[in-house]
Parts: sequence; C-alpha cells; structure tokens
Amino acid sequence: MFARFSFLAVIAALASGCANTSPVIGGKNISYGDTKAVELVTNEFGSTDLQMIAESMTRSLAQSGILQGRPVVQVYDVKNKTSEYIDTREITTSIKTQLMKTGTARFASDNTDMQSQVDQLKLQNQSGLYKKSTVSKTGNMVAAKYRLEGSISSIVKRSADYKDVFYKFSLQLVDVESGLAEWMDEKEIRKTTER
Amino acid sequence: MRHFILGALALIFLAGCATPPPEPGSAASKVVVMGKFKGIAVGAIRVARENGFLTAKVQLSNITSSNQMMYYRFAWLGADGFPVGDEETWKVLNLYANQATFLPAIANLPQAADFRLEVKTP
Repeated sequence: MFARFSFLAVIAALASGCANTSPVIGGKNISYGDTKAVELVTNEFGSTDLQMIAESMTRSLAQSGILQGRPVVQVYDVKNKTSEYIDTREITTSIKTQLMKTGTARFASDNTDMQSQVDQLKLQNQSGLYKKSTVSKTGNMVAAKYRLEGSISSIVKRSADYKDVFYKFSLQLVDVESGLAEWMDEKEIRKTTER
Repeated sequence: MRHFILGALALIFLAGCATPPPEPGSAASKVVVMGKFKGIAVGAIRVARENGFLTAKVQLSNITSSNQMMYYRFAWLGADGFPVGDEETWKVLNLYANQATFLPAIANLPQAADFRLEVKTP
C-alpha cells in the first residue's frame, strides 16, 4: 500500500514539475513591442508620425481656449496630398478620441457616420417596429458650430546617398456660421535616410 | 575604540560622497533618466496653467561640441501623483553642437497637475 502511494506521489510530482507554467504559446521570433516607441524601420509615414501629429494638434487645439462650452465639431477627412498611401482617417480618429478625452468638444456625425445615423433614425421612425416612447425623434440632431479640416503634404528628395522626406500636416477649425478660421496649427516632420 | 572611530569616519566619508536626492519641486526632481543620458544638460523649467491646461517649457543644452540626439516624452500626473490619461509617444530631439533650446509641452488632460520628463540618449 505504502509503495503504491509513494509511486503515485512521485509520478504526480514529476508531472507537475514538467507542466508548462508560462502563459506564452510559441513566440520564438515574435514579441510584443512598445506601441509608443520611436519607429525608424523605414522613412515612410509611420506610427510615430501619426501619434506625434495627433498629440500635437489635439493639445494645441484643446489648450487654445477656442473650445469654450464644449462646442459641437464636425470632423472632415484629412486630405492626403502626399505621394504615399496614408490612412488619414486614423489621424482624425486619434484627434477626435484625444479631444473627446480632454472633454473640450463634442462631435457631430461625420460624413461616414451620417448614413448609419440617418438609416437608424429612418428605421426607428418609419418601420413601425419600435415602441413609440423609445423612438428617437427626427429633427433633433445637433448641428456643428465648427468644422475641423486638414491636409497632409510631403516633399520627397532623393540623391545617390540620401532620401529626404518632409511632411507638413495642417489643421484648421472653421466657424460654420461665419466661415472664419478660428484656429490653425501645423506640424512638420523631417525624416532622412542615408543609404 | 580605534575600530569604532575608524568606522565612524568611514561612515562620514561615505555619507559625504553619496548623491543627495533631488529636492521636491526642483528641476532635477522632474527629470527621469531612462538608462543613459549624456552630453545634454537640463536647465530651468517653467510651468504654467494656460486655458485650464498645464504647460511646461524645459531648457535643454547640448554641452558637447558635436550634434546630439535624444529621446524624450512627458508623463503627466494628477494631484495625487498618479498618471492621468494615456502615455505619450516617445519623440526625437536633435541638438546642434552647444545649442540651447526650450522644449515646450502641453498636458494631455486638464486634470494634470504635475509632470515628469523622461529622457534618454542613444
């Protein structure tokens, strides 16, 4: 009896010793990195550029004092005037997210959200599917006081030894009623590769 | 007795050599060196609150006769000393030989009441 018990105990101890206690599967050539690290893999538009632009523009606008009383802002897509493919929607999404977190502005449905918003209002009001007391009424959407629009352009120069890329991101806040630009800022980034 | 005196003297010498911790509120207390930071000196720091946001200007001087590059980011802290909002992205600053410059920064959120400047040279 004692011998059988000891044998089982030894087997259990060995098995638990061999068990994988690490919360990692695989991962020989894969690792998670710092999302805030400076990315210098190539000199094309990268994550650091996107983050720097969003950070710089958001803080400049939030601290400018123009956004008094949490006005409603409509964000337009950033025009990409560079020769590269840049997902400019990600720049505006980051700016919107960061501004929202500061609590200085509210955002109206932008051109991509508008169709979903209209569809939902139509569905609630015209389908007859919903309890009347819970239906969102039409004609109550809040119009934007300001529109936020920008552009990104680049100048690329190449020689036998260098590739130089100069990015300029410009953003402006325009009063919809008056058409006046109430705030503007720009961020310049230079990236040079020595071959 | 002799051993005791020698021990006391050694303690006094060691205490004299130790680097004192930076005074709270001083410029040095706001700077966190991440590993290596050589050839650049951190000078005066100006902090103000403008339109509800904390702003900072930090003087940096390249104390060498060659161009220097550094990485930096600000960490914004609330009144309780804990971070507010998301971490900033690391940025690059190039300083020409013997150049002095001011690094401007605006807090990420109105709740920020203090900051730390994290710095590193390659």
